[in-house]
Amino acid sequence: MIVLLAVTVGALYAAGVYLLLQRTLTRIVIGLAVLAHGANLLLLLAGGRAGRAPIVDGEAGRVADPLPQALALTAIVIAFGVSAFLLALAHRSRRQTHDDIVQDDVEDRRIARMARGETHR
Amino acid sequence: MLILILLHALAALTALALGRRLGPRVFLVAALAPLVSVGLLAGRAPGVLDGRPVDEALRWAPSLGLVAAFRLDGFALLVGGLVAGIGVLVMVYASAYFHRGPAVGRAAALLVAFAGAMLGIVLADDLLLIYVFWELTSITSYLLIGIEDQKGSARAAALHALLVTGGGGLAMLGGFVLLGQEAGTYRLSEILAAPPSGGLVGPALALILVGAFTKSAQFPFHGWLPGAMSAPTPISAYLHSATMVKAGVYLIARLAPAFAAAVAFWRPTVVLVGLATMLLGGWRALRETDLKLLLAYGTVSQLGFMTTLFGVGLPEWTFAGAAILLTHALFKAALFMVVGIVDHQAGTRDLRHLGVLWRALPMTAAVAVVAAASMAGLPLLATFPAKEFAFEAALHGGLGRLDPVLAVGLVGGSALTAAYAFRFAWGAFIGGRGAQPTTAKPPARALLGPALVLSALSIALGVAPVLADKVVAPAAQALHADASGLHLALWHGITSALVASAIAVGVGVVLFVRRYAVVRLQRRLQVLPPASAVYARAIERLLHGADLVTGFVQNGSLPIYLGVILLTAVMLPAAHLVAGGSLPQQWVVAETPMQALVTVLTIGAAIGTAVAARRFVAVLFLGGVGYGVAVLFVIQGAPDLALTQFLVETLALVIFVLVLRHLPERFGGSPSRRSHVLRLAVAGIVGVFVTAFALVAAAARTGESVSEEFLARSLPEAGGRNVVNVILVDFRAIDTLGEITVLGVAALGVAALVRTKVDDDT
Amino acid sequence: MTPERSLILHRAVEVVFPIALVFAVFLLFAGHNAPGGGFVGGLVAGAAFVLRYVDGGSTEVRRAARVHPETLVGTGMAMAAITGAVGWLGGGSFLESRKLSIDLPLLGTAKTTTSLPFDIGVMLVVVGLVVMILRTLGSESHK
Repeated sequence: MIVLLAVTVGALYAAGVYLLLQRTLTRIVIGLAVLAHGANLLLLLAGGRAGRAPIVDGEAGRVADPLPQALALTAIVIAFGVSAFLLALAHRSRRQTHDDIVQDDVEDRRIARMARGETHR
Repeated sequence: MLILILLHALAALTALALGRRLGPRVFLVAALAPLVSVGLLAGRAPGVLDGRPVDEALRWAPSLGLVAAFRLDGFALLVGGLVAGIGVLVMVYASAYFHRGPAVGRAAALLVAFAGAMLGIVLADDLLLIYVFWELTSITSYLLIGIEDQKGSARAAALHALLVTGGGGLAMLGGFVLLGQEAGTYRLSEILAAPPSGGLVGPALALILVGAFTKSAQFPFHGWLPGAMSAPTPISAYLHSATMVKAGVYLIARLAPAFAAAVAFWRPTVVLVGLATMLLGGWRALRETDLKLLLAYGTVSQLGFMTTLFGVGLPEWTFAGAAILLTHALFKAALFMVVGIVDHQAGTRDLRHLGVLWRALPMTAAVAVVAAASMAGLPLLATFPAKEFAFEAALHGGLGRLDPVLAVGLVGGSALTAAYAFRFAWGAFIGGRGAQPTTAKPPARALLGPALVLSALSIALGVAPVLADKVVAPAAQALHADASGLHLALWHGITSALVASAIAVGVGVVLFVRRYAVVRLQRRLQVLPPASAVYARAIERLLHGADLVTGFVQNGSLPIYLGVILLTAVMLPAAHLVAGGSLPQQWVVAETPMQALVTVLTIGAAIGTAVAARRFVAVLFLGGVGYGVAVLFVIQGAPDLALTQFLVETLALVIFVLVLRHLPERFGGSPSRRSHVLRLAVAGIVGVFVTAFALVAAAARTGESVSEEFLARSLPEAGGRNVVNVILVDFRAIDTLGEITVLGVAALGVAALVRTKVDDDT
Repeated sequence: MTPERSLILHRAVEVVFPIALVFAVFLLFAGHNAPGGGFVGGLVAGAAFVLRYVDGGSTEVRRAARVHPETLVGTGMAMAAITGAVGWLGGGSFLESRKLSIDLPLLGTAKTTTSLPFDIGVMLVVVGLVVMILRTLGSESHK
């Protein structure tokens, strides 16, 4: 309904996905955070038009849908926890390999070589 | 009946706990469960034998339509009685066979657990329940074959058995589901009372037959059974001759009367597979020199025999099948026990090193000779009247082109059976080429006793077939309502069946006398590759195929995995969106000018995160996105959200800084142009799709929001005015509980990642 | 962070820190009827600890929060779960809330519900997470 909001959601998703597809863990974390913002906004958008805050105070008028708000609130805090965890992962990756680049999965590569008959199990 | 199965589970746990303290005597404790089962079945027997089955149903998940239904009818009584009765004898035998060791408690526990699962198969009246117990027997069998887990061959044999029977079990599950859907019920008794005839019944039965054939070691799946002989002998005696391998036969017996005539492929398939197995197994048994392997191939052969008999699905045949099922369990369990005694007392079970054992082990020899004679089908022993009945049915005809095949096949198979039975008894006990009278110690009473009981029963049922008739006739009637009026008899007069019996035994004697010529002929006729080689090749191919598939779909690059997942996640709903979505009727560009301004700024910040080359700059842009979204929350009427978002964004910024101070200033690595374009394309597709989705989703509401209810109930029921908070801590508090669990785990994860020392070798 | 700490910052944080904590508790209690609640309260309290961190690094955080962050997280989850289990008493369902009203001498009647301890649990978990991050990722000893 609100076109600009929908476009914003789309832009956040696009930016998030673009970052998610990178190999630097920091960019992946940032991408995830941008994606989370987009998802929260989408949730709210699905609730309908804007309105007064959903606080019961006896006044009349359009009230915004509280359920998507509760869902989004949960999602915000979870995204925070996940970001913290991923950053700790980046931190550790830095300490261990001196960079935060996500390498190709070594096991997967080994199986692919096996399938081509280059190595044996 | 459920209580019986629970009792077995309890006995298994007890045996596991007491194994170390009691040693092999723990088997006697475990034997209590099957012993109680024998008592309980005997208590119910009078009514069941009169044709009044006992039903029992426990509705354990009614909302899913899952009912734990059990049914004790004549056939279940016969098979269940064998499972429990032989279970008691085998466990007594095992208490003398095993030596004290760490695996004894485990063996006893698994054996009694298996007995419970097997009883479950027999008593269950629900297809899915049968499947569960079926797989339980596969798993316990796997663990029991591999009980000597330090032996590589035992582990390989166990895996072979598990893969074949487990794979068959999966096919069977598919068949069960198809059959259940087609019939509208999963109750076996209801399906058999009114067999469905829809188009899926054929495929369903074909899948179920695969399961039954694998479990009952039918050609071409028979290879696992001889391999399973690497298990200790009591286990082979119980699982791989008397009970588990009969599960497939049991299922065929149940289904055949309802479907043999209605489904075109059933009768030829089951009969030909059964006959082929019978002949192949018997033929191989003539060559083996290991007594246990000889019996294993004999078991394969006999299972083929039973599959054939039950597979026809006509009353006389079903009756003959039930009779053979009983007598086979008696003689084959006894023979396995005898092999165990020989192995135990003489130190070998190789026919080439054994001979004239009757001098050293007279009682054991007597038991063995009686059981072998019963197997051969000699008169006055239990199998003779049963076999007569089978020949009678075969010569009676009425099955068209299958008639001659059946007659020749059954007589030929019986001749082979007689030949290897003679070879077993003569080679080890009476004569024997090894002919060194082995100095064997007499066996313990607990070793010999159970086999003695079984052979005595073989004689009793042979002399007085009326006794066998008392359980076999109700069993056949439970399977086939038209089977009433059929009875076993000692003497039918000089009939064509008697002639057939005589021919079978006669040919058997000839094959036995000319046994060396037979072995030479076998060597020359070796055309089919051995089943074990086929299995090994199949496994090798399977692994190679798995490598190929894995190598193709999993090339190790995380961005590629993500890209595929994202595109798939977009494609499927996008198709729906194009086909069925409708755009909103009224378009509003923005609620307020302020909103328009903030959206533009947010989008700009989002682009900034994507293009920034420095880490700090990207994080600052991310903060911009977060604060922008928070302002949008305020405009939308969500103060709680906005407050949270502001705080989270601030804290997140701090954490990013904490980590980034250790990382290089710029992002490393410059991707190739092609992968860059690909990333942009995926991102663009996702963005466009999500925009369209957001527009359509906002217009798609058809019902009233549940929030109306939340708004109405919040103050009076939950005592709170802030509806968002009430939803979080009251209406949907379980979600919140789950969420703080995630937060707690994240906190512990952070601590673990940062605090643990870095390994130097990685 | 830096060896020589800013005195002005130090004094400012000393004043603001307790106020922020009181404000966090206020938000927690107010949350049932006005914007606020356990999440927001927890985040504000977490922000207060960030101020202490800015003032004096992870050692300062350690001084401010004497308990282990694991204890905070564990206590919070336990409180939430136990509140849920209380719902079972008297035949209710898991996490079913009850209204309570307590007569306090002089102060009058205090009305609350059993979802308050649940929200306190949420707050403790959030604070625990923030403190945990400050004490681990914020620590200087790992470099």
